[in-house]
Amino acid sequence: MKSFFLTAAGLALATALSVGGAMAQSQGGTLVQITQPEPPNLAPYVSTSGPIAQVTSKVFDGLLEYNFDLEPQPSLAESWEVSADGLTITFNLREDVVFHDGTPLTSEDVRFTIMDVLREAHPRGIATFRNVTAVETPDSHTAIFRLDAPAPYLMKALHSAESPILPAHIYAEGDIRAHGNANEPIGSGPFVFTEWRRGEFVRLDRNDNYWRDGQPYLDRIVVRFIADASTRTAVLEQGEAHIAGFGAVPYQDVRRLEALDTIEVTTRGYEMISPIVEIIFNTQEPPFDNQMVRQAVNYAIDRQFVIDNVWFGYGVPASGPISSNFEPSGLFGRGIDFSVPDRIDIANRLLDEAGFPRDADGIRFEIIHDVTPYGEEWQRFGEITVQNLAEIGIRATLRYEDLPTWLARTYTDYDFQLTSNFLFNQADPVIGVHRGIHSDRILPGTVFVNGSRWSSPETDALMNAATVATDAATRQEAYQALVPLVTEASPVAYVLELRYPTVLSTQFSDVITTPIGIYGNYAFTHQR
Amino acid sequence: MKNASIGGYILRRLLQTIPVILGVVIVNFLLLQLAPGDLATVIAGEAGGATPEYIAELRARFGQDQPLFVQLLNYMGNLLTFDLGYSFRQSAPVLDLLLDRLWPTLLLMGTTLMVSLSLGILLGLLAAFWVKTWKDHLISVTAVLLYATPLFWVGLMLVLVFAVKLDWFPTSGMENVVAFHEGWDRVWDIAHHLVLPTVTLSVFYLALYARLMRASMLEQRGLDYVTTARAKGLKDAQITRRHVFRNALLPVVTMAGVQTGSLLGGSVVVEAVFAWPGLGQLAYQSLFARDYNLLLGIFFLSAILVVVVNLLVDIIYVILDPRIRLR
Repeated sequence: MKSFFLTAAGLALATALSVGGAMAQSQGGTLVQITQPEPPNLAPYVSTSGPIAQVTSKVFDGLLEYNFDLEPQPSLAESWEVSADGLTITFNLREDVVFHDGTPLTSEDVRFTIMDVLREAHPRGIATFRNVTAVETPDSHTAIFRLDAPAPYLMKALHSAESPILPAHIYAEGDIRAHGNANEPIGSGPFVFTEWRRGEFVRLDRNDNYWRDGQPYLDRIVVRFIADASTRTAVLEQGEAHIAGFGAVPYQDVRRLEALDTIEVTTRGYEMISPIVEIIFNTQEPPFDNQMVRQAVNYAIDRQFVIDNVWFGYGVPASGPISSNFEPSGLFGRGIDFSVPDRIDIANRLLDEAGFPRDADGIRFEIIHDVTPYGEEWQRFGEITVQNLAEIGIRATLRYEDLPTWLARTYTDYDFQLTSNFLFNQADPVIGVHRGIHSDRILPGTVFVNGSRWSSPETDALMNAATVATDAATRQEAYQALVPLVTEASPVAYVLELRYPTVLSTQFSDVITTPIGIYGNYAFTHQR
Repeated sequence: MKNASIGGYILRRLLQTIPVILGVVIVNFLLLQLAPGDLATVIAGEAGGATPEYIAELRARFGQDQPLFVQLLNYMGNLLTFDLGYSFRQSAPVLDLLLDRLWPTLLLMGTTLMVSLSLGILLGLLAAFWVKTWKDHLISVTAVLLYATPLFWVGLMLVLVFAVKLDWFPTSGMENVVAFHEGWDRVWDIAHHLVLPTVTLSVFYLALYARLMRASMLEQRGLDYVTTARAKGLKDAQITRRHVFRNALLPVVTMAGVQTGSLLGGSVVVEAVFAWPGLGQLAYQSLFARDYNLLLGIFFLSAILVVVVNLLVDIIYVILDPRIRLR
């Protein structure tokens, strides 16, 4: 079977017309975005800290963009071809792209970005591009990726937030990890970096030489940083800012803002991010070395109550490690349903069988429950979990520490019993899911990998198969077999798929146009 | 030779501050090592995960693979040449980051000091003047209330009332980021943005100074020199203005000097509420990121600020009360 994609530049034009509507959009306007927290730097090629790409995805372009079904769309690459064996990927680049300093983009820029930067220094790129042995540049606008093993997930990691294409003549000078342009990005995207006043804002101005003719419509984007959550709400309410996502607005305030005429709320634009709220167990120490105990906790958690009361309805119960956002692309599997009506009885029975009887006070055993230090809702979630556990005779005490302490406890010292956790599925299960359960990801000192330290040869084999399979059907089979096995072993209790609300001013149209939402480039965004 | 003696005094005081600042740096350096977790795990954590090679490489770049005393010696050595190091998290030299934040901090501190001192002194004077009347009670009770109210709450209420409901002032920030004014328009715009944070930060100190001024005025008024002055035939107004007021100011000025340190600390909250780009927020962020180079730089700068302000206070002493000698 040959997977062959060939798309003409005309398609890009058609997309532009259909997204923007047939009539000409008025140019002008400043869109103010709130990003929380302030990014540490503007170097998305060496740091994947979330806030960075919320800014830089407007400055850089990627080889591809994606539609809401996670299918690749042309961007810098106007067409591409993946060979049948998955070992060769050819990208044909647009010839009319110039960087913000006026230099034309060539295949050498692509080679440099992939081989010398992302594959070497990007925290996720090291894994994503591991199989790429060379990028060949037969002419100035053709780039051929040579792989030593197929990597189907690679085709989903080429948008500007994940794999921004850099101008080699600038970023090849000096050490890429401490580069002089780390805070003054230069790309080919629709907006040009103008100024970053730390603690205040980043200003991006319209790129008049953008390769999409007539775009962008906006004159300017200003990204503001506001540390206090109540102030962020007030700023949006006053119309001093126009968009905020990723939990920047407290969930209880989102409902209130939604009622205003000037504001709308959407949960679209996270389909390629797919955050999952979970609880991970330390499977190497009692009592959670016992599979029945882990299952009992899994049954005890009242998922719908957590969704309704902590995340104000912005979520759906998780059915396993893989988000249901992958259902359309066929990479989804459904595990054991822990939300059955008699779940508390089942949990109590499991704990009795596991040999943890209740004492005179009705307590089976006591544990400490660590809380992900990401803010107030995580504390609420912990409090509810403590109550849920009390129903099955487990007395839990909450422990709330700051991020570095919690990371060291969970992923370096493994000095925990059970902790809440927050992992993104990202664009493909290979990138976002395997790391949490594969044996080769039990890596002390590396964060957000397999912290439960559980694995099995059978599940490892299924994931290995899904990593290299070039056809979607094989991958789907592997994941459909994998998910029930993982939920049965329950090294992690997958609680809910978070549906982040994005708060948007009704003044602007076509802001969220891709599955990466506010990581999009706003090229089509215009004033109503 | 008064000028020469003041110059010598300042020089001597500056030399004395060097061991103080060195002590601050060393103690802070060692204290920070006690905090669990490090910059590499935070950077990897923000990235949502990273390979072990990447994390090991980060640690080596930060110099964290070196023994502790080597790290400290390196840092002290760099400090001697005013090299505050590099913030790996923010990909910028620490000195640049600090200087960017210094002027908003000084602006907010300066206006707060001016407003709280002048209003505090005025209210204290009035309360002392109207002592034991309902006006005195009103001022005193208000002062206690303001003193007891948490800063962040005052800030949020001011935003809700004056920005959201009345729309008199912007909710936050230092200037209008849609308009980007230039020249005098910009000055006016920044002043407009400065009002609410200044008021918020001032109310606490204002209350403190008013209470202190009132007590100090009443105490001075009962002293023997006032009786002497009156016996000399001076009018009450003259006594108050020339003698009592000057002497009563001394404790207030002392307190204002001591409070500069806490003013920096208090501004963390106000800066967060009003998104003011000052040093306080930078310190807060860098602590939670374990960005020690940056944090040590902030401590260093704060220590210098406090020392300088206290030196100024001592000089003001001499002007207020010539009996105090420069030694």
